[in-house]
Amino acid sequence: MPESSYFKILSVLILITLPLFGCKKGEEPVANVIKIGTAGPMTGDQSAFGQDQQNGVKLAVEEWNLKGGVLGKKIELVVGDDQHDPKQAVSVANKMVNDGVAGMVGHFNSSCSIPASKIYNEQKIPMITHGSTNPQLTEQNFKGIFRVCGRDDQQGKKAAELVINELKAKSVAILHDKTTYGQGLADEFRKGVEGQVKVTYHGGLTQGDKDFSAALTNVKTGNPDLIYFGGIYPEGGLLVKQSRALGIKAPLMSGDGVIGEEFLNIAGADAEGTYATFAPDVNKIPSAAGFVRTYTKKHGKPGPYSVYAYVAANILLHGIKDANSADGEKISEAIHKIKYDGALGSIEFDEKGDVKMSPYVIWQVKGGKWEQISK
Amino acid sequence: MKRVLFDMLTYLLIPLWFVLLTLPFLGISGSIKLGAVLLVCSAFIKIVETQYIASLPNILENRVERIKNRAKKIDGRLNMGVMLLILVLLPFTLNRYSIDIAIIAGIYIVLALGLNIVVGLAGLLALGYIAFYAVGAYTFALLSTQYHVSFWTALPIGGLLAAVFGLLLGAPTLRLRGDYLAIVTLGFGEITRIILNNWDALTGGPNGVMDIGRPEIFGYRFNTPAAFYYLILIMAIITATVVKRLNESRIGRAWVAIREDEVAAEAMGIDTTKMKLLAFSLGAAIAGIAGVFYAAKMSFVSPESFTFLESIIILCMVVIGGIGSIPGVILGAVVLIVLPETLREFQDYRMLVFGASMVIMMIFRPQGLLGSSARRMELEPVDERALGHEDESLYDIKKGERLE
Amino acid sequence: MFLQQLINGLTVGSVYALIALGYTMVYGILGLINFAHGEIYMTGAYLGVIFFGIFTVMGLTAKSLTLSIILTFILSIVYSSAYGYTIEKIAYRPLRHAPRLSPLITALGVSIFLQNYVMLSQGAKDKVFPTILSGGFTIGNATVSNLQIFIMVTSVVLMVLLHLFITKTRIGTAMRATAQDKKMASLLGINVDNVISATFIIGSGLAAAGGMMIAMHYGLINFYMGYVAGLKAFTAAVLGGIGNIPGAMLGGIVLGLVEALGAGYISSEYKDVFAFGILILVLLFKPSGLLGENLQEKV
Repeated sequence: MPESSYFKILSVLILITLPLFGCKKGEEPVANVIKIGTAGPMTGDQSAFGQDQQNGVKLAVEEWNLKGGVLGKKIELVVGDDQHDPKQAVSVANKMVNDGVAGMVGHFNSSCSIPASKIYNEQKIPMITHGSTNPQLTEQNFKGIFRVCGRDDQQGKKAAELVINELKAKSVAILHDKTTYGQGLADEFRKGVEGQVKVTYHGGLTQGDKDFSAALTNVKTGNPDLIYFGGIYPEGGLLVKQSRALGIKAPLMSGDGVIGEEFLNIAGADAEGTYATFAPDVNKIPSAAGFVRTYTKKHGKPGPYSVYAYVAANILLHGIKDANSADGEKISEAIHKIKYDGALGSIEFDEKGDVKMSPYVIWQVKGGKWEQISK
Repeated sequence: MKRVLFDMLTYLLIPLWFVLLTLPFLGISGSIKLGAVLLVCSAFIKIVETQYIASLPNILENRVERIKNRAKKIDGRLNMGVMLLILVLLPFTLNRYSIDIAIIAGIYIVLALGLNIVVGLAGLLALGYIAFYAVGAYTFALLSTQYHVSFWTALPIGGLLAAVFGLLLGAPTLRLRGDYLAIVTLGFGEITRIILNNWDALTGGPNGVMDIGRPEIFGYRFNTPAAFYYLILIMAIITATVVKRLNESRIGRAWVAIREDEVAAEAMGIDTTKMKLLAFSLGAAIAGIAGVFYAAKMSFVSPESFTFLESIIILCMVVIGGIGSIPGVILGAVVLIVLPETLREFQDYRMLVFGASMVIMMIFRPQGLLGSSARRMELEPVDERALGHEDESLYDIKKGERLE
Repeated sequence: MFLQQLINGLTVGSVYALIALGYTMVYGILGLINFAHGEIYMTGAYLGVIFFGIFTVMGLTAKSLTLSIILTFILSIVYSSAYGYTIEKIAYRPLRHAPRLSPLITALGVSIFLQNYVMLSQGAKDKVFPTILSGGFTIGNATVSNLQIFIMVTSVVLMVLLHLFITKTRIGTAMRATAQDKKMASLLGINVDNVISATFIIGSGLAAAGGMMIAMHYGLINFYMGYVAGLKAFTAAVLGGIGNIPGAMLGGIVLGLVEALGAGYISSEYKDVFAFGILILVLLFKPSGLLGENLQEKV
């Protein structure tokens, strides 16, 4: 039977191919370089976020290298692409381990960060995510896992407070995009307003969909004072636009996923009056002015998560510097002690690895621009 | 002279066509650069002679035949034991990342072998195969986190449950032919994923299920990549053996008969419905078992892992490797897992190159890398038969109407 | 409320129908599921944004909006047709006599390639189509925008034109003949290769028109929009009876309506489940689709 003989040859083939790509690099770390990694959706349908992240981290590394690197060595950036697929995230994590990175910035999606964090934790590599807001990530109580962004529960709570205390809305409709991020946000918001504000509608949409008229028609029948949306800017922008087209006057409120130019471009004039919870204005923090200027010069306007990635990379490099070592455990310890003043304001971590201060303030679209309206 | 001019013109026209085509996307400088590259390429092709290019598929064919022949020769010297020994020793020579890729390749080998039963042997085009994989993965995820069921108990349960799903889907739909079956399975796959994403109370919705238990054996806990490598190695070997034995059995011959001519098969006394259902549920069971392993290996499952694209990738493995051929399917799985990884060097361009290589691979070897000649005869020709039962015309030409 | 959902459904449905036509025509002639078709639709939408942007910069839009919209439509359709034609020549023609699953793989390869080609050349971020043709009116308590009317009218016009083309012209007749029996058609002196090219050109043009209109309607496009739209349109084509042109139109409309009503009255989270659910139900009771004929297998 020829089949059986192929089988053996095949195994040989497999054998040949595997070491070929496996042992190509990273066998022993080059002595004069410190490697840090960053991983996220560099290709695929969320690559816009991945590219922003990569640019932010790159900028931080370039700046440090100009100042002479860290621990007297040049910093080398290793970029990994997980295509927001959990399986690939684990592969990338293993590749990072192989490449001998001293620390990680990323991943972006919570569904990737969670499985990848297990690998980094096993290998004692510190990981600072710039965009995974799912509470579960740090609830694992891994010692070397941090995040510079907030948690969905903090953000939802902040939004709920605003709706109850300041906007004094009587009724809200809640929508979300059925992702870890969007749904988490919407659920936390609902918890915050439950009992005090009437929820007229609560429903999910499909991320990537363009037509939300069916759900919005239902929202319209409830006639709410405000629409809360858990999700990111493409859907958010379309929601405002389509709700206005259907004659809904209620303003939209959302999380950090809608902050940025993109949302304004998509929603156009209809964006006016939209609320969002987000970190304090980068442009108003003196120390961040430099970041915005250099970033814009090199890569165009910063995306919503570019700053987070940039800050995360800076904290990681500071950690390495403070620990005076490339050893993961020491770096993690150093990061826990850090009080970092930078583009996102002052950042300190609690024992879980979350930022201590709730970093959220309220923003609103005024005159076609995002403006910070609360402290 | 005229001939030469004409030739030169065509070689100029092709790059020009692409320059125009890509102009809005790449901009002026980008498309001109592309045009220049194409011009050089077409000049090169002209020099190397078109004949050679045209005969490339044949040359490749000969190469593959030669490799196959050599394989037969080596076969005498190399026995299964040595082979196994190498595979067993493999983790000691590889780094963590490569082992991880090997494990993923292993999972996909099992999946592709399972799909091969459905598509390659029984000839049923299924586009929602990933759903069964999801059933297996979520079965173990939920059993482990809710009831602390061990991996070894969940393995058969996951396979069984996936098989039940296969039966449930197969019973009413298998009477559909060809592409209708394809789209129904596609719909089923999508529905499964959407339900997993929306049934928050059971599946955790988009958050997925975390902290799934790891397999244990005699007190040893599987938590290193190498341990999982051995586990999937054993599973892959078992699956390959089962599929191979099936292929050579009465059942296998019945499947091939159905694939080639269902009416004739039925006339020969084969219970076609039963056989098709068997193929479907068996394929599903294998996917379910692979799913259980995936859940255990990742210790985390979420609906994002079970998209339509995954079904498609598995189908690609079967077709690219060589439909119906077991070593071919294994090779297909390895190639499609390893290729994007080796292409990581291309960074942002890797999926572009991946898409292009899929096209090129198929143009040069449409029967797949290791498609066997017997199968090729069975599968060809496409024109008459493949279209035979479904060539509903765009419009019916009425009797007596002139084709004028 | 019901009226509103009906209008929502009809708008989306007519675009599904336009894309579904391309699937169904190619399937009717080649028996191939052209998975790259959704990508042509995406390409068409991008071309629309690019050309409209160029006209705006040139100042044409300010002078005459109608003219620049018409020119954008024409250019984008011509270009997308050229893409469809090229794809057929490179990726499908060499595989005309290959095992039948092979072209399916090249189709997927082309689809991945085109997505990444557009992503790399145009950036991964969403592109915005400026709001034009704004405004609308209300019937009862339902709002209808002018764009929705525009989409429905254009779709109907295009479909009627296609119908006339297929039934009245020489090449249309050749297409039908080729779909019925390729060998016989070629024996009768029809150049099958040309017919196939024409099929791809027309199908791609229709998809591009659909893409353009979607870009105008939602004002937002991205490089992965073709995937879901393609999947839905393929579903619509099968729902109506694949290979059958009126079937594709009916399938598109039905699918749009089912989605809108299901999402409106039952649950918007399960919107896609309704789309695929109705497909499975229809196929179970009428395996050849709504308008497909149930041909007996030749023995």
